[in-house]
Amino acid sequence: MSLLDEVTRIKQEALEQIGKADSAERLAEIQVKYLGRKGAITAVLKGLKDLSLDEKKTVGAAANKTKAALEQQIKDAIEAFSAAGEKTGFDPTLPGTRSRVGAIHIVNQVIDDICQIFHGMGFTIARGPDVETDYYNFEALNFAPDHPARDMQDTMFVEGDRLLRTHTTPVQARTLEKQQPPIKIITPGLCFRNEAISSRAHVAFHQVDGFLVDEGVTMADLKGALVAFCKAFFGEKLKLKFRPSFFPFTEPSAEVDISCFLCNGKGCQVCKQSGWLEILGCGMIHPNVLEKAEIDSEKYTGYAFGIGVERPAMLKYRINDIRLFFNNDIRFLRQFG
Amino acid sequence: MDLSYKWLKELTGVDWPVEEMGERLTLSGTACEYIRAADAHMDRVVVGEVTDVQPVEGASKIKLATVNLGKTKMDVICGAPNVDVGQTVPVALEGARLAGDMVIKKVKIRGIESSAMICSERELGISDDHSGIMVLEDDARVGVPLAEQLDYNDYIMTFELTPNRADSMSAIGIARDLAALASTKVIKPATDLKESSQKADSKIKVRIEDPVGCPRYAARIIRNVKIGPSPWWMKKKLLMSGVRPISNIVDITNLVMLETGHPLHAFDLERFGSDEVVVRRAADKEKFVTLDGAEHTLSSQVLLITNGKTGVAAGGIMGGLDSEVESSTTDILLEAAYFDPVVIRRGRKELGMVTESSMRFEKGADPNGIPYAINRAASLMQQLCGGEVLAGIVDCYPEEIKPKQISLRPARCNYVLGVHLSEERMKEVLTGLEFRVSGKGTLETEVPTFRPDITREIDLIEEIARIDGYDKIPDATANIGPLFTPIHFEDKFRSDVRRLLTGCGFDEMVNHGLTDSHLAALLNPDLSQVKILNPVSADLDIMRNTLVQTTLNVISHNIAHRNVDLCLFELGKAYQPGNGEDDWCEYQKLSLAVSGNTPHTWRDKPRSYDFSDLAGALSLLGEHFGWGRLNFEPQSNRYFEREISFAIMCGNIMVGIVGKMNRKIAAEFEIKQDVYLAELDLNPLIAISGRLTEYQPLPVYPAAPRDLAVVVDDHVRAGELVETVKEAGGEMAESVEIFDLYRGKQIAAGKKSVAISINYRSKTGNLTAAQVDERQAAVVNKLKEKFKAQIRDK
Ligand SMILES: [Zn+2]
Repeated sequence: MSLLDEVTRIKQEALEQIGKADSAERLAEIQVKYLGRKGAITAVLKGLKDLSLDEKKTVGAAANKTKAALEQQIKDAIEAFSAAGEKTGFDPTLPGTRSRVGAIHIVNQVIDDICQIFHGMGFTIARGPDVETDYYNFEALNFAPDHPARDMQDTMFVEGDRLLRTHTTPVQARTLEKQQPPIKIITPGLCFRNEAISSRAHVAFHQVDGFLVDEGVTMADLKGALVAFCKAFFGEKLKLKFRPSFFPFTEPSAEVDISCFLCNGKGCQVCKQSGWLEILGCGMIHPNVLEKAEIDSEKYTGYAFGIGVERPAMLKYRINDIRLFFNNDIRFLRQFG
Repeated sequence: MDLSYKWLKELTGVDWPVEEMGERLTLSGTACEYIRAADAHMDRVVVGEVTDVQPVEGASKIKLATVNLGKTKMDVICGAPNVDVGQTVPVALEGARLAGDMVIKKVKIRGIESSAMICSERELGISDDHSGIMVLEDDARVGVPLAEQLDYNDYIMTFELTPNRADSMSAIGIARDLAALASTKVIKPATDLKESSQKADSKIKVRIEDPVGCPRYAARIIRNVKIGPSPWWMKKKLLMSGVRPISNIVDITNLVMLETGHPLHAFDLERFGSDEVVVRRAADKEKFVTLDGAEHTLSSQVLLITNGKTGVAAGGIMGGLDSEVESSTTDILLEAAYFDPVVIRRGRKELGMVTESSMRFEKGADPNGIPYAINRAASLMQQLCGGEVLAGIVDCYPEEIKPKQISLRPARCNYVLGVHLSEERMKEVLTGLEFRVSGKGTLETEVPTFRPDITREIDLIEEIARIDGYDKIPDATANIGPLFTPIHFEDKFRSDVRRLLTGCGFDEMVNHGLTDSHLAALLNPDLSQVKILNPVSADLDIMRNTLVQTTLNVISHNIAHRNVDLCLFELGKAYQPGNGEDDWCEYQKLSLAVSGNTPHTWRDKPRSYDFSDLAGALSLLGEHFGWGRLNFEPQSNRYFEREISFAIMCGNIMVGIVGKMNRKIAAEFEIKQDVYLAELDLNPLIAISGRLTEYQPLPVYPAAPRDLAVVVDDHVRAGELVETVKEAGGEMAESVEIFDLYRGKQIAAGKKSVAISINYRSKTGNLTAAQVDERQAAVVNKLKEKFKAQIRDK
């Protein structure tokens, strides 16, 4: 290796060490190591006397240039250390400047999440009135005239022969009346029941209903769609259980349990040690419902489902008081911002 | 409904472990919600015999009992009033864990050491009876574990039944599903009867005056019964279902109800008062005392069982006090009837009571299950009470209720479910549930009358699906239905509003709309209200007719919780009553409110939120949706302060209101700080909203900015100044902005200085200084002329 190469190598090594140096003390050490009386560059300069005149010139120039460059670098680096620490008092820990962004209400976030998944599966949003008629809320949905849900005890009635809808399924009845299949609709909205308000029950709640009517829709399609939804919404590793149940407007009817996403089905306080959470109701649309809307129930079949909004949110975020959703306390709202 | 696990095993021969039985029933539609060990509180509890009872000195309420436990004897302190020598009793030993988490430990009372306890039924988890200690049968074996003595090595299964399944409100009903699941048959208890030669109809006649309310009424006469306690096996079944044993006759009617689902009633024949049962509606204001001692004033809603003169039972709901079976009763009139579900429902509502009997009739009992139920009860009365059963059932059944016939097309079943079940499998499931099936290709099915819920083919399909198992239905992975899935503009509009307003720091509220009519009237006395006929509370008695009210409620709630700096919005509905089908009104609204101060940071000092924060948010929405300029026109409004109360105009359409809350009105909501509030009608705004506007080419020629400060009278509005500058500046004035506002020492009182920045630019060429100066002079002249503006020197 020529001496010129040696100078280049020393320069690179020294610069690297300067870059890595984490204190002014360390930089002083580096200065001694390379530029001191016994330093590497000094050694090169001392060795010049053994070289030819030409070599003396080139190597000497290079070594002196390197010496000057390193001296400057070390000096700058030492200054930078003292400037950061002492001179300016710059404080990067002060809170950053920003404007406050508000929070979208958690109920609407959950509704949006649900609707987005179903939109991806081809469902379109439809809406209907909150103040409904008995016909759309009950009769068109195959509730028997004396069904207990039609009681004053369960439903709130309004002057002028109306009621506050007890589910968003009336939108299904209204849509079936207006459109011909294929129909694929999702209906988010507010629902009511005649219930005293407590931490566990509320007079109002939100629900997202959905339904599909077409030729050849089967219960297997219903299961497939809900498995897809639950995995998208609650997590892919989830297991589902379809249990026979009863709703006047579906037949066969089912309730869907998902494996508890908090304990992965092992059993915890939230799932009452069962490992399962009851999450939604569903079924094949009752032919009586289709026929009420003058849709050929032989040619067309359909499925329907309904999922609560507050309940999954309560499970997911361990919210133990349902009143929080409607209190609109900003300390609550902003946690979901 | 609670049922003994062993009972279900006994009725089916199915020996699945209890957990599996519960799970499989759940997965077939009979939800087993809960399983608990019947002997959970009987560990370390044994049968003991009381051999001696001594008073305890100085204590009147406790006694010292000596109990023989077979191998040992033990002294036990006992506080029960009924402890007596000769009784066999349950004795809980040290370490036993009784109901209510009571653990038996060694104690010293009045100097006497006691390390065991004689237990009540409640302490053992058998019933809620805590009136005294439980006394066992005389033949109880001393020293054996109590669970073994009572046959309590069993489980209590709690079922949550769906309202449509009347048939599953009984042990046989649930056993029927269980048998179908296990491909076996229900083993129905025998009804061995030895009828005497005397005919029942020589003692009693039955007449139905209301065949709608009571399509069938059957009676049997059992004579010379001996009233006494029931045998333990029967008590156990009742206790495990939560029914309190009373006496053998009453217990038998209850047992048969639990077993078959058919409610029965036993009358004391001597106290019945006649030899004829007459079933009729109650007369208006007819008085009747039920066997719980309550006196009722009836109406024709209630079906009454009478002796021809007076009522003896509220049919299907509760018996009467006067004909109740007593310890001295010898002859029994046993009733098994079928009542109409709707009549029972109305009747029990009228009486304000729900009984085990009314619950079953209301869901629908089996009119043709009557003979079995009445014979089963009569045979038990013969067997256990020594009764003599008179010959024949006195059966009044004017019009037989026949089983329905429904055709099932196997291909349709597979089509709806998306499965490939064989016709044989469908037949097997239906037959297993006791449907009669015949035919091939199409299955002609006779629906047993205990299944009133089955009315058409789809119901049969559900039966097949639930017994075969929903888990056998595949999860289809193909997506079906229409491919075109529009996003309605209204939905995009909402989500844009949310995005923009939260971006400006507004938090979103969601209200349910139920609110207080009085406060609503305070805000809008002339606005009609949607009144709730049966509100849950007085302060939630209408649906809001303005979002202003619920917004104030939310502000009030937050301030009460010391959240005083608020920036809120809501997208919601306001409601108005209508006159007919179509003019029922729900209006989409947007409310915005600010109150308190802006955020306080180390750099920015807070200031009060004010009108301009709302105006800013509104102009932001207006620009985004292309509404054009929103103008605020003064308009008085009773809940705004007079000088800060405006109509929001979009062109010449009024689209909302904005203002500062009136202090007095705010005080009614317990709000003392300033609140600025706006409410927009969204329907007209959605109608004119559109994001797509024409692209503007980027400017080619440079701009010439000029600033101008004018001093004008304080009442001159900034908007007027800007409009005037734009007008005078013409097309050349590309933009006009106000960048400073000053009132103070340097200018005269009653005046203000407004600084305006004008950006001049031409689309066709470079502007010369002379051109700009000329135009600026025109602007200045116009301002002088119109507002007597003085130009401030820089
Ligand atoms: Zn869990």
